[in-house]
Amino acid sequence: MEIGPIWRAMWQSKGGYLLIGLQIAVTMAIMVNAFAIMQERASKMGRPSGIDEANTFALASVAFKPDLDYQSLIREDLEMLRNTPGVINAVVTNSFPLRQGGWSEGLHREPGVGKSVSSSAIYFVDEHGLETFGMNLVDGENFTPAQVAWDSDSDDFWPATVIITQALAEDLFPDHEGSYVGNTFWFNDDNPANIVGVVERLQAPWPTWTGVERSMLVPLIRESEFSRYVIRTEPGRRDELMPQIEEMLSASNKERIIRSVETAADARKLAYLGDSSMISILTFVIGLLTAITGLGIVGLASFSVARRKRQIGIRRALGATKTAIVRYFMIENFIVSSIGIVIGAILAVALNIFMVQAFALTPLAWYVIPIAMLILWTVGQVAVAGPARRASNVSPAIATRSS
Amino acid sequence: MLKMKNVSKVYRTDTVETHALREFSLTVDEGEFVSVTGPSGSGKTTFLNIAGLLEDLTSGTYELDGRDISKLNDKERSNVRNEKIGFIFQSFNLIPELNIFDNVDVPLRYRGFKADERKRRIEQSIEMVGLGSRLSHLPAQLSGGQQQRVAIARALAGEPRFLLADEPTGNLDTNMADSVLDLLGEINAAGTTIIMVTHELGLADRAKRNIFVRDGQVSDGAPELHLASMAAG
Amino acid sequence: MFRYYLKLGTLSIRANPILSALMVAAIAIGIGACMTIMTVRHVMSGNPIEHKNDQLYHVQVDNWNPDDPYDDPDGAPVQVTYLDAKALFDAGRAFRQTTSFKTSRVIQPEGADARPFQEESRATTADFFTMFDVPFLYGSGWDRSADETLEHVIVLSRELNEKLFGGENSVGRTLMINDESFRVTGVVDTWNPVPKYYDVNNNPFEDPAQLFLPFSVAIAGNYDNSGNTSCWKPIPDGTGREGFLASECIWIQMWVELQNESAKQDYMTFLDAYVEEQKLIGRFPRPLNNHLRNPDEWMRYNEVVDDDVDVLLGLAVLFLVVCLLNTIGLLLAKAMRSAKNTSLRRALGASKAELFKQHVIEAGMIGVAGGLFGIVMTWFGLRGIENLYADYDFIQHLVRMDWSMVMLAVALAVVSALGAALYPTWRTCNITPASYLRLQ
Repeated sequence: MEIGPIWRAMWQSKGGYLLIGLQIAVTMAIMVNAFAIMQERASKMGRPSGIDEANTFALASVAFKPDLDYQSLIREDLEMLRNTPGVINAVVTNSFPLRQGGWSEGLHREPGVGKSVSSSAIYFVDEHGLETFGMNLVDGENFTPAQVAWDSDSDDFWPATVIITQALAEDLFPDHEGSYVGNTFWFNDDNPANIVGVVERLQAPWPTWTGVERSMLVPLIRESEFSRYVIRTEPGRRDELMPQIEEMLSASNKERIIRSVETAADARKLAYLGDSSMISILTFVIGLLTAITGLGIVGLASFSVARRKRQIGIRRALGATKTAIVRYFMIENFIVSSIGIVIGAILAVALNIFMVQAFALTPLAWYVIPIAMLILWTVGQVAVAGPARRASNVSPAIATRSS
Repeated sequence: MLKMKNVSKVYRTDTVETHALREFSLTVDEGEFVSVTGPSGSGKTTFLNIAGLLEDLTSGTYELDGRDISKLNDKERSNVRNEKIGFIFQSFNLIPELNIFDNVDVPLRYRGFKADERKRRIEQSIEMVGLGSRLSHLPAQLSGGQQQRVAIARALAGEPRFLLADEPTGNLDTNMADSVLDLLGEINAAGTTIIMVTHELGLADRAKRNIFVRDGQVSDGAPELHLASMAAG
Repeated sequence: MFRYYLKLGTLSIRANPILSALMVAAIAIGIGACMTIMTVRHVMSGNPIEHKNDQLYHVQVDNWNPDDPYDDPDGAPVQVTYLDAKALFDAGRAFRQTTSFKTSRVIQPEGADARPFQEESRATTADFFTMFDVPFLYGSGWDRSADETLEHVIVLSRELNEKLFGGENSVGRTLMINDESFRVTGVVDTWNPVPKYYDVNNNPFEDPAQLFLPFSVAIAGNYDNSGNTSCWKPIPDGTGREGFLASECIWIQMWVELQNESAKQDYMTFLDAYVEEQKLIGRFPRPLNNHLRNPDEWMRYNEVVDDDVDVLLGLAVLFLVVCLLNTIGLLLAKAMRSAKNTSLRRALGASKAELFKQHVIEAGMIGVAGGLFGIVMTWFGLRGIENLYADYDFIQHLVRMDWSMVMLAVALAVVSALGAALYPTWRTCNITPASYLRLQ
């Protein structure tokens, strides 16, 4: 019921109020979009990689003497690793989830070179891969030792059996119902792959890739100067075993070096550094923005109180209670904030549509808008409370003074 | 010298038209000391604002020193105010952050005088109002009468032809008021034309000529009569 | 009058210390936010080889899958095959040309207890150093003849020379790398182009190679490519390394230097003729799609600047808008507060133009202060970014402020403050002289 006269009084000096309204509107637009981005990044970071991240680490062996027998070196290394107390299992592979570097292949439902129907990350492992990565096999079986090939053994580079992720199976055979085990697809014109097992989840090495959930295990050990070992330890023993194993491998053969020792947790941190930093920056920005807008409201309200001292005194002289004066300023701020917030909501959606198009962000969730509204209303009311209280302390006697 | 002919001033809002001056005519000659009196709302302040080029007129002609004021642009009007007119206000209107020297300096700055010329004029005019020892004081450190003297010094520093005073003693006690009025008398005796708006009867007596304004027009008849009737009413 | 207005501005700022501080802070923070992101973007989008931008060209030929373009809708591959690298290099039709790829080598320092270590390396050709204006501390690159004779020569980075030879002139010394002996021909002075324009496929923001050795030696020695390899056509089984070299896999970066526009056109004609010729033997199944892109175009084509930076820049600009709206509001409030003062000045003879000057100068002072503090804020902002991204070795190169950025910060602050002052000043100038002089 008080809104009417307050609104009409505000209309008399709309310029100043419009500015605060606009400031709140732009603040709202930034806030909503920052929230949307933060939410998108947080959900990206929350995706499990499928491996036992807390207890896994990796290292690389780089041989530098020519004519080294890579096969026996790898056999010895694996034997040593698997027999180390505290190690659950170890595997030689080309990469692991979150590492941001790896191998991918286009896949075909028919033999031939034509356009591929899907693509997948490839992890070369032996029958220990499943346990080392800590994956959940939901269908079919693990590789048998006989299925694991060394790439020096055969002309046929690609083994005939694979274990794939659920997501890859669905992408490859969208119309298929029932078990995927036994289905066949092709790497290229003449390399069929028979699915022997399906795992629930195993991310590709590139978290930014849209097909990140599509990957497969291929039972092959590649012989080259470079081999990467992934080692899974018993819970809590990773940090203790890491230096120990590095030293053991370094000492076992002087014709290679051990490098790139890193935990899966390190890899996760690095892989999502852009996203986690973005979240930090945006949190900071929102905090700062809220502070500036809040301080701006405090400043302007203080001014308006100073300017209207006489008017306030007259109101008090005419019988307004202190509460009524406080309420007056609170309602005034509420009106300005509301106008700003409504314009802000429109701006926010417009900005989001633009960003979705320009930067391929995901559209914002509807509930972000009421959350931002609530925050800005609260900030406004809190900011105006101080000056409003000061206004209520203006003496009614000021009304009778003329200067 | 100051010549208003059929001057009208109308304030318009969305709904109301207020005629503050209607067909107002007045001539003031060089060296006069004119008091303008009238009841509240009679239009005397509007007259002063128009005379001082603080406001535009709606119709009629206003000549100051032979120049038709209505034809001037903002810059020319500002220059006329600056060079030919000095203002004295009821509430002194000194700038609180500036000391006495700098307050008197304000119009001289807009006049574009060189630094030494400004200094000479400021010191001279402050000396004249008897505050030579207070140059670096802030207005708040002075009494009301002293503040008004500073305001007079500011008005005089540019050696204006006209001094427009708006209730110059309204905020002063009797003693201070008397000394300010004595000062105005001296200034007038030295040749400056003074127009003083007031509603105080005693003040009007100090002037050589009294004008009575009512309903936005110069009222005919003996001023004394009107003053008496006003005092009665 | 200017000095008088400076004095009035100072007085006014002193009379309203909290309000003025709020305005300066708002501008400083807005400028700080903008300049932090702009600095990062400025470095990321820089072109370290600007002065040769119209002479260097990255070579693209489209050997990709007829049914599936390398990049939708019809983008050509961003690297070349060994077949094409070799053929185009051997043809020698450009003023200068270089083929290169990224590889890792293990250095075996002399001394019994010295441990071998791996370094990022670049296999390249003699012209690399002259084409890209690589500065040398000692010696120089190798001769073109070394490329042909498979001479085992090497160029070290300043850092690596420091590590191996204690920083002394090592030209002529030998070094064991993966059990092969190499002779040092030169040591590169500090050289860290940002972005690493000569190879944007493999992370344009990483430290440059620590050692350079001949492409031909790397091919003969079967050095692995540690950069990106992409294939569309299967390599026949059992063909090994030879099969890979003869494959349609792309993994090599090729650049040519062409001295003028007609040389460029000639080279383009040559490329087209080469591809047409290859089509006759069954390669290049796609339509003719060759490109010569200069460094600027090449970095833009590869979208070197991360999208996140643009998103942040957009938000930072909006942030500045909020800060300015804040400032406009405060200036307006201040103008209204000093309306009586303004009105008095008008009565005393100040024209609108003079008042305008007075207030613009005051706003300018706030702007300069905001800009100076904005530089400080930017510095803090950049340190913040540096800390956040501390795990990226390269981040320190992206958070450097140069003079142009400092000037820009101050200019932006002053322009912003003046822009913010326009509306309040306009309102001020329109205060009528009589309006506030009577009561109050």
